[in-house]
Parts: sequence; C-alpha cells; structure tokens
Amino acid sequence: MKATRGEGMFKEVLLVEDSPGDVRLTQEAFRDANSSIHLHVASDGVEAMAFLRHEGVHAHAPRPDLILLDLNLPKMDGREVLANIKKDDGLKTIPTIILTTSEAEADILKSYQLQANCYLNKPAQLDAFESLVKSINDFWLTKVKLPHQRQSG
Amino acid sequence: MQLAFASAILTLLAVGAISYRGMVLSSESDRSVRHTHEVLENLQDLLISMQSVESGYRGFALTGSEKYFQSFHADILRWQRDLTTLRNLIADNPAQQRQFPALERLANQKFEFGEKVISLRRTKGLEAAADSILRGQGQRIMDEFQGVVRGLQNEELRLLVLRNADAQQRLGQTKIVLILGTVLFLLIAAAAGWSVQRDTSGRGLTEEALRDSEERYRMLLDGVQDYAIYMLDPQGQVVSWNAGAERIKGYTAEQIIGHNFSCFFPPEDIERGRPVEVLRMTAASGRHEEEGMRVRKDGSRFLARVTLTTLRDASGNLRGFSEISRDLSESKESGAKYRGLLEAAPDAMVVVNQGGEIVLLNVQAEKQFGYRRDELVGQKVKNIIPEGFAERLIADGTRTAADALAQQIGTGIELNGRRKNGSEFPIEIMLSPLESAEGILVTAAIRDISVRKDAEKHLAQMESRYRGLLEAAPDAMVVVNQTGEIVLLNVQAEKQFGYRRDELVGQKVKNIIPEGFAERLIADALRSAEDALAQQIGTGIELTGRRKNGSDFPIEIMLSPLESTEGILVTAAIRNITRRKEDEAHLLQKVEELNRSNEESGQFAYIASHDLQEPLRMVASYTQLLSRRYKGKLDSDADEFISFAVDGASRMQRLIQDLLAYSRVGTKGMDLLDTSSEAALQQALINLRGAIEESGALVTHDLLPTVPADEMQLIQLFQNLVGNAIKYQNPGIPRVHISAARNGGKKWIFSVQDNGLGIDPQYFEKIFGVFQRLHKREEFAGTGIGLAICKKIVEGHGGSISVESQLGRGSTFRFALAGSERKS
Repeated sequence: MKATRGEGMFKEVLLVEDSPGDVRLTQEAFRDANSSIHLHVASDGVEAMAFLRHEGVHAHAPRPDLILLDLNLPKMDGREVLANIKKDDGLKTIPTIILTTSEAEADILKSYQLQANCYLNKPAQLDAFESLVKSINDFWLTKVKLPHQRQSG
Repeated sequence: MQLAFASAILTLLAVGAISYRGMVLSSESDRSVRHTHEVLENLQDLLISMQSVESGYRGFALTGSEKYFQSFHADILRWQRDLTTLRNLIADNPAQQRQFPALERLANQKFEFGEKVISLRRTKGLEAAADSILRGQGQRIMDEFQGVVRGLQNEELRLLVLRNADAQQRLGQTKIVLILGTVLFLLIAAAAGWSVQRDTSGRGLTEEALRDSEERYRMLLDGVQDYAIYMLDPQGQVVSWNAGAERIKGYTAEQIIGHNFSCFFPPEDIERGRPVEVLRMTAASGRHEEEGMRVRKDGSRFLARVTLTTLRDASGNLRGFSEISRDLSESKESGAKYRGLLEAAPDAMVVVNQGGEIVLLNVQAEKQFGYRRDELVGQKVKNIIPEGFAERLIADGTRTAADALAQQIGTGIELNGRRKNGSEFPIEIMLSPLESAEGILVTAAIRDISVRKDAEKHLAQMESRYRGLLEAAPDAMVVVNQTGEIVLLNVQAEKQFGYRRDELVGQKVKNIIPEGFAERLIADALRSAEDALAQQIGTGIELTGRRKNGSDFPIEIMLSPLESTEGILVTAAIRNITRRKEDEAHLLQKVEELNRSNEESGQFAYIASHDLQEPLRMVASYTQLLSRRYKGKLDSDADEFISFAVDGASRMQRLIQDLLAYSRVGTKGMDLLDTSSEAALQQALINLRGAIEESGALVTHDLLPTVPADEMQLIQLFQNLVGNAIKYQNPGIPRVHISAARNGGKKWIFSVQDNGLGIDPQYFEKIFGVFQRLHKREEFAGTGIGLAICKKIVEGHGGSISVESQLGRGSTFRFALAGSERKS
C-alpha cells in the first residue's frame, strides 16, 4: 500500500543522517518545498541498508525515489552505503545524493568514483539550506525521469 | 880413557833420553794447546751462528723477506752442528760439559723467540715484530747465552794459559837438560881432549865426533831465537852467549862475554844488590826462577822470565850458572796462536794490547777498514774506532778479565768505524778480554752494520715521514700493504676502533672494515697507482667499521695509493660519521616532526574549524528558523536577543570559514608549475566581477609574466589584494593597477597599487596577521584574514610581501615571486 502511495502522488525519500538537528531541518525544508513527500530516516548506514533491503522492521519499507546520504555515519559510513547501493542491481538506479558538510576534495572524488549521482554541501545558512532542498525537490523529484524499475521480485 | 868416553857417551844417551821425554811431553802439551784453540774456535763459531740466527729473524722482521726466514733456519741447523762438534771436543771436560744444558736451553729459547718474532711479523706485521724485539726478551736470552759461552771460553782460556805454561815449563826443562848435557859433554870432552893431548895415540875419529857434537849443540843453542841462553861464571861474568840472547838483549857475544851479568838489571836492582842475591839464591837451591824487569843494551826495559841453574863439576864445586830468559813482552808467539782463530771469524777482529795498540787483526779487518795489515799492527786502535770508545776499550782491557766480563763490556755497542780513506761506517763492537801469558789483551769483534742500519733507517724514515702526516690527520688513518695487512696507523685509528696500535699493526684490515671492501681495497692496491688514482677509488664511500668490542659504526673511507719502496701501499682515511649520521637523522627527524607538527596544526585548524562548523550550523540554522517563525510573535526583547544570536552565529561561521581557508593554504606540499600570472589575475577579476561592477572600479594591469606557482593560490592572492584595493576606498572611482618588474635577479616583483584609504605605517606589520583589522565591522565587512592568507601564499612560494602606503594616499602591495626558468 505504501508502494501504491509512492506510485501515486507521493514521493519516497530516504534520508540517511545521524544528526537529529539536520534531520529536523531537512524535514522542515522538505515540508516547505513539497507536501507530498514521505521522508524516511535511517540514522546509520546499517539501518539504511536494512531499509533498502526490507530487512527486519523495514520488511515493508518502500523503495525510495531518492536517497540523501550523509558521509560520516555511525556503524557503516556513507561511502560504504553508497558502494553497496551501486553494487546492487536492484538499488543502483535509485538516485543517490551525497549531502554532507565535508568539502574535502578526496570525499568528492571518492563519492563520484562510487557513482554518486551528485555531491552537495550542507550550507551554513538556513536560507541557503532551504533553497538547496527546494532545488533538490525541483530537480530530482520533479524534473528527473527515472526508469520504472521496482524492487526485484 | 875408556871411562872418559864411556861417560861422555852415557851423558849423551842420558841427555838424549831426557830430551826425548821432554819432546814427547812437550808435544802432548802442544796437542792440548791446539785442542784448547779448537774449542775456543768452536765456541766462537757457536756465538757467530747464534748471531746469524738473530740476524735472520731480525732481517725477516724488518723486511718480511723469505730469504731471511730461510737463512734463519739454516743458521739454526748450523748452530746445532757446531754444538755437536763442540760436544765431541770437550767430551774430556766434565766441568765444561755441565754448561751444555744451559747452552741448549738458551739456544732453544732464542730459536723460539725468533720463531715468535717471525710469526708476529707474518700475522701482525712489522711493528708488532719490531716491538717484540725492542722489548728485549731476545736480547736478554742472547746476553745470557753469550755469558755462558764466555764462561766456557774463559775456562778454555784458563786451560790454555795453564797448558801454555806447562808446555813452556817442559820446554824449558828439556832445554835445561840439553844445556846441562851439553855443558857436561863439553867438560867431559875437554877432559877427554886434555887426555888425548896427553895420550898422543891417534884418537882422531873420536875427536872428530866430539867436535861435531859440540858444533851441533852450539848450532842448536844458537838456533834458539826466542830465548836468551848464556852461561855465567861463579862471579856472574858472561862466558857464553847465543843468538837469542843477542836478539833479546841487544849485545853481541863479543860485546858481552867477560862482562858481569848485572848490566842486564835495572840500576835500582843493581843498587840493592839484586844480581848478587840472584846468584846466591841460585847457588843455594840449584835453581832459581823469576820474572823481573831487565834492561837491554839500549837501556830499554822489558819483562823477562828468567831461569838460573847452577853448574857444578863432578865433585860438586860451583863452576858457574846457566841462565835462560825470555822476553815476556813479545807477543809473537800468541799472535801465531790466535791467528787461525781470528781469520776464521766472519767479523773484523782486532786484538789490542794494554797500550791501545793493535797487536793482531784479520783479513776482514783489513778489508773493512781499508788498511793493509802492516799498516795497522802497532797502530793505536783509536785510529779506526772512535776515540772515546777506544780509550774505554783499553781501560777495560787493563782491568782483570773477570771485571771486564762482569761488566759485559761492549756487548753490541753501536759505533762508527773509520776507514783509511776517512769515511765512517756504522759498526757493532763486541769486546772480550783475552788473558794471555803476555797479560790481558782485548779482542774486539767489529761488525759492519751499515746494511742493517740502512734498512732500519729506511724504515724509521718511512715511519717518521708518514707518522707525522698520519698523526696530523684528523681522521683515523690506516696504511695497508698489498697483502691487506695494516702497516701503519695513527692515534685516531686506535681510538676509533678501540684497539691498541700493536694489536692492529700486522692485522688484516678486513678485521676492522667490511670484508668485501677490504678485498677491493687490496685489489686496488695491486693495481698501479695511476690506475687507482684515475678511478678515484673509494672516494667518500660510506661503510661500516667494526670496533674491537664488535660494535659497528658508520664510516666514510677515502683511499689513496702511496708509492713506497715497499711497493704500493694504500692509505685509508677513515672518518667516523656516526655524528654526522646522527645529525642527519636528527635533522631529518626534526624536519619530519616539524612537518608533522605543521600538518597536524593545519589538520587541527581544518578539523577544528570543520567540526566546529557542525554545531554552529545548528545554532545558526535554528536561531534563523526561530527568528523567521517567531519574529514579532514574542516580545521585543526576544526579537533583539534572537537577532544577536543569529548575528553572532553568522560571524562565527565566517571566522571559522576564513580560518579554514587560511589553514588550507600550504597545508600540502605544492607543485609549483609554470603559471601565467596574467591568466591568474584575469580569473581573480572574474571572481571579483560583482564587487568591481558595484564599486565602478577601474582595474588596469601591465603584461604579467609566467611564474612557477600554484594557480589556485595565485588567483586567490590577486583576488584578495585587488578585492582589498576596491573595498577600502574613498568615495570616488577606485583605481587599481597591477604590474610586475624584474628586480635584477630572477625574481619578479608584483605590485598592486590603489588610490584608496591608505594605511598608517605603524600597522604595516600588523595587517598581515591573522584576524587583524584596522576598521570597525560596521565600516568594512570581513574577518581580517585576507592579508594573512596573502602572506602565507607568498611565503609558501618562497617570496615575501610588503606594503608601502600613506594614509589617504593609497597603498601599494608588493610581493616577490621567483621567475620561471623558461622565461627569462
């Protein structure tokens, strides 16, 4: 039924973020940008993978239309999560956006090598952050055409 | 008549028998005298062969030549043969034989010592061998050995004197018997003659025979040259005189017959009635012997051994005296005895009497000193050996043999000899006293040691020449010969390797420096000096040295060949570079530490600012959210408080970002590539486009050069400087001009000149500091990091930055960058 909802007017977004402050800000920003988004949150890499593979409590989790992935996460960090997603035939077509405070060249390069769909810095200012989320919504959740690929099986 | 003849014949027979016995005994004495000479000669041989043994190992020690090693062994064999001969010779003398074990023991010690020296020379080299010789053990053995040989010689000499005396006594006795017989015969003959005269019947044959006999005995007496034989009447008047008497005393028969024999005595003896007393004593005992001074015809005195015998007729009436005397000062007899001995000696031998006169010498002495024998005999010995020493030699000679022996005079004393042509040469003299019937003579064995001296001198010269050089060197110096043995070394080498000099000399050099290298070192030495030099062998090669205690230390070796008379030696200057290595390592460590510390502080600034950003972003975001959602919904205080919080958080975010930017500059090693500063400026101006347009600034520039730089940093540098020039402006149109000029050297001096506010010179230094501002925040935005970043960038490129300005008259920022190699 979630799938039906996602298939309809709702967009499923998975935010992988361990900072509750950032989670709330992102939720606030998405609420302002688009009210028909289901923002799911995984607070570490392990949980994110469980969500994507419908494991445990996430057995009925929807397949997200977009993944927002922080790099520095407990248990399994964002780079590993990214690598797992892009290795998985069933998951690798999901647009995965790195959203982090890191401006390190190495992180940027590594992320693209692991086929991140894009790399974004979290802006320091609230205005800038809100405008960034708005851009993501406008582009990745609105304009971008994705294959109608559902989870396998 | 018959009786008279019979008694004459009987007398003759008796005389004949006695003479024969005397002859036999005398020849026995002669044999033992000869035997003694043989023993003496053999002892001398033993000494000589032992000296040769010594020369053998010394020679080897000096030169390392196998020739000496072989002669060393040959001489040992020769010595052993000599000993066997000697053993056979003195088989009859138990006292002498008892000395044999000592002789053999010392000889074996000497041989062992020689072997030791040789093996030292082989294993540890010249210095060790020389040291062991110089320590004197060998000399002590030699001295003791010589002492024993001298003891044996002295014993033989004592026997010789005894046997000589014995032989002389027997000879004397025989002669006396002969004389007595002759006298008796003459008396009998006279009596017979008298009876013949009376008895005229023809006795021609007997008379003839008698006359013959008389003539024969006269001839016999006259033939005796060494002895004065004459007869005195009972009052002491000379009645007969032989040729020996004439020779010794200087009177002819005509001159002296009929004169009293007292004229043979010195005046003082005559005065005290000595001649009369001598005759009285002789008459009383029948025979008198004495040694005493006698006077020749010419008045000269000599020591004589005199034997007087009474002549009595058949009835016992004193008819006169016979006197036999011998000149003891004559040494002709002893000369003959020793000549053979002398000639056999390998050294120059000179026998000197108490007057310092040369009595005898051998062929070697003639050769060595360049004189003929007759030119030297009778000459003072000081003509050929040094004065002081000659005198001492004589002084020693006048002492008793025992004294002289006790002092071991002149054993191996080194002196100079003087040849006939005046040239001098080094000699070694060995003296030994020779007790003879004629008093103590001194035998000097003189060895020409110029060859040995030369060798020693050469070695010493080489040593002293190089020693000075070596010791002056600050490095450890080791000189190695072609077999890889250390020949010379200096104090520094001793210290560095922890060995004493004698422990290293003669050792293989590979004991102290690495094997492979030591071999190469030797191999190099075997090449010609030119080759080795051409190859600049081992210049500054870094290796490891090994100390005595086994510990290793880093060394640097510089080799150089050294051509010497011993062949090519290799001089190795060995520098202990432990300190340098440590310094290098220390420096490297410091640099690493500094780098790490720099990196860490850069890292720290980066991490700190990055991690600070996170919570700060929350503070800023939520105060902003708060402000947006609740502004005007709370009271005015709340609005103000929120606004301060928002402002503070934003400022802190800028500070942190600037700090982050500052810490990023130069945190990593930069590759300075040739970069067009023109292009970098253009990019900076593009980045500043907004500010330029807003202010209406007029930015101009000259053609700018290509310089080795990090492009991003160069852009930032221009951006900051031009940005500042536009920002700190008076009302009006900002003008900025960028130019570059060479400063004579390879550096480019860039200038960014503006017409802005200008800077009070007191702040010229301060403005390049981190977060240093000259204006209030309300006047100009910014954290004050811009120029600090510029300074860091310029310094990171090895340049410097400065400002020239006056308040209100604009500023000129200048920075120097190295020019590109390609574009000059």
